[in-house]
Amino acid sequence: MRCSTLLAILTVVLLYLVMGALVFRTLEASKERIKYDELLSARTSFLHNHTCVSPDALQELIQHVVSAIDSGVDASSSSNFTSRWDLSSAFFFCGTIITTIGFGNLSPKTEGGQLFCIFYALIGIPMFGILLAGVGDQLGTMLRRAVGKIETLFLRKGVKPTSVRIISAIFSILIGCLIFLGVPTLVFQEVEQWSLLEAGYFVVITLTTVGFGDYVADDRRHGSFMYKPIVWLWIVFGLAYFASILTMIGNWLRVLSKKTRAEMEELRAHATDWTQNIQNMSVDFRIPVQLDLNDPFQLQRRRRRRKRHRGTSHGYPKVAYVVPGLGESLEAEGIRINGHLFRSWSEAQSTLETMLETRSMPRLDAHFEVWPSSRTVSKSELRSSSRAASRSVSQYSSSTASGSQSESESQSERESRRSQKSRNSKASLPSPEASSPVESAEQEPSELNQLPAVKVEDTTPHPSLLDFFGENLAYIDESSDTLSDRVKPDSTSPHPPRKPKRRSMRRQLPNRSLLVMKRVYSSELQPPSNPPTPPPQVPS
Amino acid sequence: MSSAGRSWLFLAGFVLFYAAYLVLGALVFSAIERPEEERLRLDLASLRERFLNQSCVDGAALDLFLEKVLKANKYGVSALHNASGAANWDLAAALFFASTLVTTVGYGHTTPLSDEGKAFSIVYALLGVPFTMLVLTACVQRLMYLVTYRPVNLFQQRGALAPRVASVIHFTILMVLVVVCFFIVPALVFSRIEEPWSFLDALYFCFISLCTIGLGDFVPGEQPHQKLRALYKVSIIVYLFVGLMFMYLVLRTFHKLADLHGFTAFFHLPACEEDEQQDRVPIVEEGREEGPPEADKTATKPLDVASQTSYNTINR
Repeated sequence: MRCSTLLAILTVVLLYLVMGALVFRTLEASKERIKYDELLSARTSFLHNHTCVSPDALQELIQHVVSAIDSGVDASSSSNFTSRWDLSSAFFFCGTIITTIGFGNLSPKTEGGQLFCIFYALIGIPMFGILLAGVGDQLGTMLRRAVGKIETLFLRKGVKPTSVRIISAIFSILIGCLIFLGVPTLVFQEVEQWSLLEAGYFVVITLTTVGFGDYVADDRRHGSFMYKPIVWLWIVFGLAYFASILTMIGNWLRVLSKKTRAEMEELRAHATDWTQNIQNMSVDFRIPVQLDLNDPFQLQRRRRRRKRHRGTSHGYPKVAYVVPGLGESLEAEGIRINGHLFRSWSEAQSTLETMLETRSMPRLDAHFEVWPSSRTVSKSELRSSSRAASRSVSQYSSSTASGSQSESESQSERESRRSQKSRNSKASLPSPEASSPVESAEQEPSELNQLPAVKVEDTTPHPSLLDFFGENLAYIDESSDTLSDRVKPDSTSPHPPRKPKRRSMRRQLPNRSLLVMKRVYSSELQPPSNPPTPPPQVPS
Repeated sequence: MSSAGRSWLFLAGFVLFYAAYLVLGALVFSAIERPEEERLRLDLASLRERFLNQSCVDGAALDLFLEKVLKANKYGVSALHNASGAANWDLAAALFFASTLVTTVGYGHTTPLSDEGKAFSIVYALLGVPFTMLVLTACVQRLMYLVTYRPVNLFQQRGALAPRVASVIHFTILMVLVVVCFFIVPALVFSRIEEPWSFLDALYFCFISLCTIGLGDFVPGEQPHQKLRALYKVSIIVYLFVGLMFMYLVLRTFHKLADLHGFTAFFHLPACEEDEQQDRVPIVEEGREEGPPEADKTATKPLDVASQTSYNTINR
């Protein structure tokens, strides 16, 4: 993670804390004041009614009582003494130590107890961590298998795979929440005579291992002998569930950020490649274009391309990235735009890489479908070119650095571009991809936030969003499978959910030569498949 | 199926061993703490007797009064010292509370009293805990380069040690440093600042806080006449966060160490693979692969197909 992103996240966390502090203060301070006043009045009235008691003696008594309560002694005047350190309570206490919940309603007061607690926790916490990892794995697999069966049911009914995946993800979360949050809340409400809010509060505070201790299950020890162990079992499974959910969210965020960056970069690279091809075509067809030899990006890029793609059939005309019919250089605009977007070349590169791979290529086909599977060559080409592109982009952009949070920016960029694209697509030709950059560049030349490669966005935002999330969820599912599952040979047959429909592209012969170039482009550079084949299996 | 079966077997054995560990702990705690509790209780009973004997108060009124006091005390409203006292919910204390909530330490010395406060705590915790973990993981990832990867490579190259030996040595050094910096020294500081705390109390507090157990029996900054209370509380928050970060760092280093020595594979546990995928800089290093990750330290380097995110097809 980059320094700037990290700083941004740190600032956000600090702001989050301050916000929480302010809210808690407004909510709680008044109530605390009220309670304090109540207590004070009770004290004064007591002293008033019982004048033989001196305030000092009362103070002393109160101090003793409070310290005894802190030690866990039950101060109600019951004559028979039941220790709070009986076996089941001590077991529960050890459980709270190991899980790092740490309620605190019971705690060791002797020095020996404290010392033993330290060493006990030193060994026990890692052990519990390992246990949690194991339980979480098994639980996750079981849950996923169960959900998988439901998924197959849905699939047989002919629902779209991506929506099935989303449904299954939501379903698994809901099942888990119901079992580990909903049922215990009701149980605690019944058994402990708490309100629904208090029971829910206790469940959440316990399962996130915060463990304040203001509410503790079976504190009065009314319940049966098995109550505490059952509560502890629930804690273990609930913790495992929470941990797996958190891992899933973390994976999702990671995938999201990676994808965003990679996609941006791919987009960028694709844009440059595509227009380079246009230049070639334009040279072939002798369409006059403008030159922009002083463009640093172009120079560097051309240099790198020449270095890398020695053998390719593309000529390297000294023309700029210009769409015929358009007066200005989109490339230059793109650089400026990218200068706002990317802070470092690696970001741009990675983003554009994947973006190019996943998003842009489908656009060449009218229905952004599956690619021919011979993508490796093209992918490396793209990546190298995109790397070059992004490197030069970043070198250019490093001088125009103006902010941070490129990730979120690029993320929001994509979203905005997505919506932008849908608007653009309406007014464009039957080949939206080709003409939309033209149109978008024409329509919003001042909107520097638009990449020139807006063209590669989807016309229909909703299926693409679903695709995006659905495929990410699939990735997360796979990445969080247990080792035993991973050991199984991964059938890397990318079953194409959608067939390539380039035939329809070829049939359309619009007036613009752009389409011709596009066809040529799509035949020359094999785009990556969609969904792309999974990466070579990471060794477990 | 044998690997899956074996993993189940391991899990079952592990759970049993774990339950035995808990029972052992319960027995020991019981044996240590019960006598003390008994003594305290007898003390309290005798005090109560003495108080009732020499005054006109009757038992019922006293119990009623005590109940009120204890109830308020549970919520952190102290009846002691007749002081207006430091409010529990001024800004610094509320910040402290929020940070104990999101780091899951959760002392419990102050808890939300109102219903709205409880509901807000639920939402705040559900959002804040994953968020904090994300931040800490991110920081730790970057710290790993500085603290773990570079030194281990250094040991390997300069000291010409085998990778396993180098990693073990590095881990021991790291542990010693962390213990001194985050336990011993803060314990000394706390035992100086907080009067009633002994060194062991302060050490116990540091340990319980940094493991996010947070029992709450010792909470710094709660003395009634604490000087510079706000600053003190904020510095404790900083200590918590930094200490937690280093705890995660140590844990992660240990995980990689276990990977290296084959423990995780033996127990069929998930390996510490997140960094593997991204950085391709395992704790064992040829030195060759160090180039790219060190060069673009700021990158998340999906430079090759393997680390590319990609759509996966679920095996159906």
